[in-house]
Amino acid sequence: MIVDAAARSAFVARRMPGAPVVALRLVLPGGSRREAIPGQALVTGRMLAEGTAEHDWHALADLAERRGMSVAGWASLEAHGVAIDALGSEWERALELAAELAFASEFPADRLEWTARHAAAELTAQEDQADLMTARAFAEQLWAPNPKGRPLQGDAESLARLGREECRNFHAAALRRGGWLIVAGEIDESAVAVAAERCFPRLAPAADDGFSPAPPPPRAAGRREVRTRARDQAHLLVGQRTVDRRHPDYEALELAAVALGAGAGLTGRIPNRVRDREGLAYVASADLVAGAGLDAGRLTAYVGTGPKNLAQAERAIREELARFVAEGISERELANARSYLLGREPFRRETARQWADLAAHSLVVGLPLTDAAWRRDRLAAVDRGAGDAALRRHIELDALAVTTGLPTVD
Amino acid sequence: MIVGRRPESVAIPALPGEVERRRLANGLEVCLLRNRQAPIVSTALFYRAGCRDEAPGRAGVAHFLEHMMFKGSARYGPGEVDRRTQELGGTNNAFTSHDVTAYWFAFAADRWSEALAIEADRMRGLRLDPREVDAERQVILEEIDMYRDDPWEALELDVVAALFAGHPYGRPILGTADELRASGRDELADFHRRSYRADNAVLVVAGDLDETAAARVEEALGGLPAGDGERRAECPPPRCPERPTRVERRQGEVARLLVALPAPAADEPDHAELQLAAALLAEGRSSRLQRELVEVGQLCLGISATVSEHEIAAYFGVAAELLPSTDPGDVERRLLAALSELGTPAGEDELERARQVLRTDWVHEHERIHQQAVAAGVALTQFDLEQPGRVLRRVEEASAEEVAAAARRWLDPEGGIVVGACLPEGRRQSVA
Repeated sequence: MIVDAAARSAFVARRMPGAPVVALRLVLPGGSRREAIPGQALVTGRMLAEGTAEHDWHALADLAERRGMSVAGWASLEAHGVAIDALGSEWERALELAAELAFASEFPADRLEWTARHAAAELTAQEDQADLMTARAFAEQLWAPNPKGRPLQGDAESLARLGREECRNFHAAALRRGGWLIVAGEIDESAVAVAAERCFPRLAPAADDGFSPAPPPPRAAGRREVRTRARDQAHLLVGQRTVDRRHPDYEALELAAVALGAGAGLTGRIPNRVRDREGLAYVASADLVAGAGLDAGRLTAYVGTGPKNLAQAERAIREELARFVAEGISERELANARSYLLGREPFRRETARQWADLAAHSLVVGLPLTDAAWRRDRLAAVDRGAGDAALRRHIELDALAVTTGLPTVD
Repeated sequence: MIVGRRPESVAIPALPGEVERRRLANGLEVCLLRNRQAPIVSTALFYRAGCRDEAPGRAGVAHFLEHMMFKGSARYGPGEVDRRTQELGGTNNAFTSHDVTAYWFAFAADRWSEALAIEADRMRGLRLDPREVDAERQVILEEIDMYRDDPWEALELDVVAALFAGHPYGRPILGTADELRASGRDELADFHRRSYRADNAVLVVAGDLDETAAARVEEALGGLPAGDGERRAECPPPRCPERPTRVERRQGEVARLLVALPAPAADEPDHAELQLAAALLAEGRSSRLQRELVEVGQLCLGISATVSEHEIAAYFGVAAELLPSTDPGDVERRLLAALSELGTPAGEDELERARQVLRTDWVHEHERIHQQAVAAGVALTQFDLEQPGRVLRRVEEASAEEVAAAARRWLDPEGGIVVGACLPEGRRQSVA
């Protein structure tokens, strides 16, 4: 089955024989890139499971647990919606429940207050994760004021400003734009289609309205240092913005990323150098298109190491990046990377949940990502020349941003 | 040579697919789990060797050796296992527990046999180059630092050390910096020789297998020697505290509590009943503590309850992450009260909700081929292949009174409980 945003239907059903779980995803194009108040998309998404005209939060939770369902309202940069994973026999009840959450959510004030307070507390608890704090600062360095530069939760002050109307209106606006309903599992596709039409009679497929969030700043070299609550480890991130998922160079950079350190285990130039040859870290990785979607992904080289090793680790990363851009990707690296990415394809759709999530991403970015032949052709079309040219176009060695997270000094 | 002319071929209710079991002449137990839900094959090689098999003063050797299994063998140089995995589009990893060490691969179904060649080569011809040993020791020291920086990891280490004091289950799997520095090639080679042998291992191959799978296993691994000498020493059960014990550390921005009590191993009576107790307590938004402490009480960010699956003895753990404004003493009192209340039988309606949550969890946690391979490996290595099914059946059958009776036997807040608190560094008062 080919899924892309040009599909005329808002419904996508995929039969997966033997799958024990039916995965349902309602995807509405209203993520944090469209929010007026930071945290609005996440709180709106979560509020979908907090009470409807028919059921309060507890009744919803109880109903789900008794029927073996996991029910969640969610949000990402690009969308918010409902995710339900149900045991196979419950697919129709899951559809009805998703419709109730989408169309009859009440956004009760007391639950909204708690949901916002919970999100604020998550931000506080995350301060104990040194790698996450460093990544937050890195994202801000690369993107702010673009929404990619802040946590999905926003911040404590913005969360306190969110009221029922802000969430209700945000959700209603997303529904007006249309959306998609994806159901995957051991299902009868035609029966699901009939039930989907019954439960979601007003849902039209979302169309690209050309919306753009606040632009990020120009790429520039920069250095940021944050103090984390770690006692021992420092965290180092080096990188810059690269391309979005629809960019013609995406696959070339994706293949190059595998050669750099985004592949299996501890392979790739940067893990080899930092971990295997210099023994500097337990974790070392690198990517060139991390987080690419409607907005740009990023080159990210990451090392978690002792503070005394930071300078050596940064030097190693810079040298490996420079060597990679100068030498380009080798024939062997390219062949291995292609083989790796093609070999990964069955794992991206092994379960109904994975397939549904892949289909959701596919619809959001408007590419047929669930189509194995399309994917194979795109990867096959990249030769060394294309890979090297993409590296030189998108990696600016003199415009690398560096963020270090240093342990607390007693 | 394959021992047993007619392999046992059965379906087990706890895992999808059909199982075929064999024992090779060298003693290697082989379990083929045929499940064609996706064109994927996962292998999982389990050794009956973990932290509990380490010599005194050599904590961390089992995990150190796990790292070294990727650092060079006769046919696969340092890093070559990962490179080859990547070339084939697969994935691999390994884990060390107190009871076992396991290595797994997952590949598309048309290219999985390389995993067998790798496993055979590093079982027979591990190099342990001293330079690689020294470099990898540094990596593990960094790994120790990384875990110590995580408040949850650090708290769990403290709590488990107190609960299983003096027993190998109380040791940190990564070892300590001092003991790691004292362990080198000789200790690693000795551990490998004693434990990494065909007659001390279980191989699970799961997924979209064709009729050649058994022959491929035989060809790749049947020629390995069985090993000689004693495989592993008996490990007595731990002697847990008889009175409440407190451990406290100061780390992080929010308070975290971890309460642990001794529990029966996964093949012993009362284990399934305690799983139901954990589900009553904290599984799902409708559960007792989720309502009291999170959804209604709004005192905690999250709460969970689990029963560990160690081989000789387990522990029942309840973990709570608190909101910044919450009094840890208040949450601790509520946790202990909730444990006491488990001694009173739940209503049938509430118990049925807990059963359904556990059924659903099992399905979700064993959806992927790799998860099925690992679950079969754990069962075969530590218990037997029917153990997960027995636990699931007991979850269905246990009555409310039986769950309550198990809770009264094991979850006494006045007994051998360990209460661990990780408090924000700025907070000066103690809990409770």
